[in-house]
Amino acid sequence: MALMPKRVKHRKVQRGRIKGNATRGNKVVFGDYGLQSLEPGWLKAQTIEAGRIAATQYIRGEGKLYIRVFPHRSITSTPLETRMGKGKGEPEYWVATIRPGTILYELGGVSEQQAKICFARLAHKMPFKVRMVKRRAM
Amino acid sequence: MSDVIEVKKRDETGTLRMRRLRSSGRVPAVVYGQGKDSVSVSIATRDVEKMIRSGRHIVELGGDVTEDALVKEVQWDAFGSHVLHLDFARIDAGQSVEVALTVELRGVAPGTRSGGVVKHMLHELIVKCPANKMPEQLEVNINELELDQVITAGEIALPDAAELLVDGSEIVVTCVTPSAETETDEDGGVSGMAEPEVIGRKADDDDGDDS
Repeated sequence: MALMPKRVKHRKVQRGRIKGNATRGNKVVFGDYGLQSLEPGWLKAQTIEAGRIAATQYIRGEGKLYIRVFPHRSITSTPLETRMGKGKGEPEYWVATIRPGTILYELGGVSEQQAKICFARLAHKMPFKVRMVKRRAM
Repeated sequence: MSDVIEVKKRDETGTLRMRRLRSSGRVPAVVYGQGKDSVSVSIATRDVEKMIRSGRHIVELGGDVTEDALVKEVQWDAFGSHVLHLDFARIDAGQSVEVALTVELRGVAPGTRSGGVVKHMLHELIVKCPANKMPEQLEVNINELELDQVITAGEIALPDAAELLVDGSEIVVTCVTPSAETETDEDGGVSGMAEPEVIGRKADDDDGDDS
């Protein structure tokens, strides 16, 4: 099932702009390999879940998959064939705001070759360009 | 402390000049410590990459500045692919320094043949050690790690005169039975719920408007 917050301060938020690169969440911290975004965008909760399923089906309990992003932002939409006006639409789905450089998923306890294949499967689900990165020594 | 890293003194400072320096194939750095004046230097990018790959924390500087130095900080770009700046702290050969050493696992745990998964919990350990005896990394042999066994920080072999600065009972690596994937997530989120609770809104209030 897709992720969403338990409690929020506001049900609806303004769209905003994604500017600059990631300054936080851009290092591999928990596992040995990570999937890093190279473009900005919104990552839907359903897409995060689709990625998780694609990865866990491949690793089959061998390693550990870490999800590093969480969908905090609600996206609203108005129903089809609705007349203009009558205010902002209702929340439809939840997204995570992704800046270039953000680590989306991490893998631990698997070989580099396995991680490469797993992330290649996962990358097909992503709506932007991604690449595999390794944990840094320094 | 084997290879000497050639450094050149630099007088230029500032974002634009440093950007030009980086595009010319050099990385800005600074050398400081031991009550002496700090010196701005630059290093060839290929030397920096070599140093990072080797994982050495103690380096010998040559060229315009000849000192032994500890790599205190490495600044990376947002993608973690290029080094932007380096900090070197002057040290004496016998001086004790605190360094976060990488923990590398060696071998194959027999527990994995019984269906277990090796879980690497601590990737770095903070160690105080004389500079001339500083290892590049800490190697942990997991050839005898059975299912449900752990290796703690205190069990890792350290060089002579080295002191562990983290709790010795902290688990570094363990071999556990993989847990079955559950539908709910562990990150504090909820799944399948219609809509999240809005903070500060009363239960009988329909759409959160003040009217």
